[in-house]
Amino acid sequence: MGTKRRLARSADRVRVRAWYGTGVAESDERAAPTVGQQALAYADTLYNLARYLTGNAADAQDLVQETFVRALAAAARFDGRNLKAWLFKILRNTYIDVYRKEQHHPTRGGLDTIHADVEGPIDADLLRDDLEIHQLRNVVAAEIEAALMALTEDARTVILLDLEGMSEVEVADVLGCAVGTVKSRLSRARMMLRRRLKHYAK
Amino acid sequence: MECGEVREQLLGYQRGQLSAEARAQVGAHLAECADCRRALDAETELSHVLERQLPRHAAPAALVQQLAERMSGAAAAPVTRSRRKRRWAPLAAALASAVAAAAAVLLVVRLTQPAFLRASLTTADLVSEGVNDHLRVVASAHPVEIESGGIHQVKPWFTGRLDFAPRVSFSGDDRFALAGGSIGYFRDRKAAVFVFKDRLHTISLFVFRADGLPWPTRGLQAVGPLAVDAAVSRGFNVLLWRDGELGYCLVSDVNRADLDALAIRIAASG
Repeated sequence: MGTKRRLARSADRVRVRAWYGTGVAESDERAAPTVGQQALAYADTLYNLARYLTGNAADAQDLVQETFVRALAAAARFDGRNLKAWLFKILRNTYIDVYRKEQHHPTRGGLDTIHADVEGPIDADLLRDDLEIHQLRNVVAAEIEAALMALTEDARTVILLDLEGMSEVEVADVLGCAVGTVKSRLSRARMMLRRRLKHYAK
Repeated sequence: MECGEVREQLLGYQRGQLSAEARAQVGAHLAECADCRRALDAETELSHVLERQLPRHAAPAALVQQLAERMSGAAAAPVTRSRRKRRWAPLAAALASAVAAAAAVLLVVRLTQPAFLRASLTTADLVSEGVNDHLRVVASAHPVEIESGGIHQVKPWFTGRLDFAPRVSFSGDDRFALAGGSIGYFRDRKAAVFVFKDRLHTISLFVFRADGLPWPTRGLQAVGPLAVDAAVSRGFNVLLWRDGELGYCLVSDVNRADLDALAIRIAASG
């Protein structure tokens, strides 16, 4: 590898560090990192969501790659306000475009229809069917992961976005729904999750 | 308020996000409804379970590397782009065109990129990286983020800050003192940085995920139980070795025999 090429690579590395905020003093060619470079700081967060949406590592990597490609192409349209929410929205839309179309696991969402986990009235069964707190205390990682994966994508997404610390307004932006809808979707999704856990954590 | 309505408010109630009026209404209902009180407990406990137990998946190092390459390749900086033109000469025209077109081309490029990157890295790059990172430790006003009170304080500190557990349990002795640890980078990936002191000399140990790096297979030397690649670069002694999924890089200006002595202690403790 030529010296110039190595120099270019080393400059890249300095930037990688700077994006991750681990404080290297060397100055960059530019003062402000581009949208794409700032987006790198969210690689782990985006991958985590992608992993739970797709259910496997290979699809998750492809989804994150495609998300970055689309983000790059749309960078000029980014309003500069909330990069994390913007990226999540692109990831989710990409998932719907690419993966839902070729859904290989039609039954992965369990026995419920697509929206059953997040829509509809909270019926009497669901009200009574909550699990006891001592059951929750004994839940292990594999059980909570399996229970989450058994939910529909919509339910999973709203739970994960909330877990990322996103506000209802941000979640509404990502999901493209009304702010008022987020609250009921989230509480219903969490109820469904507890119902699943009840079956796993006997 | 009906139970169904209350259940939708429980998370907000628990997080203190409700208006005073809604809070009072939910509170009044909870006082009378044991089912909803139980649901509130379950809601609270579910938050704990999700936060503590749900596995978080970190992006694989190779993916982050590819993304970093792509993001810098498509950066708008003229300096970077001129360098990139040389590197991606056949694609220069495409890269210079519209952003959308560039993104489409990059999609194709990404398929060939990992192999290209691996081929372009040499063991000498790893040695050079180790020295650069060591110099950063030495030059830093705060080389350690966690001061050492022994390895049992340093190691748990890494938990949650890395997507791997660095296997190091040498806690220092009369000869080499463990000064502390911090999070650093080794090339494209996060690294656990352990800082040791030998009298006035600083010794840096970087532990990182080993995948995707050009690990030497020839000319290795036996140091205790380890097969290390030993190099001298810019006056520093560098020892590189790999143990399963983890890579180790030990760098210092102490002499080779001293560095070997520390490597053996680290290997014996791992």
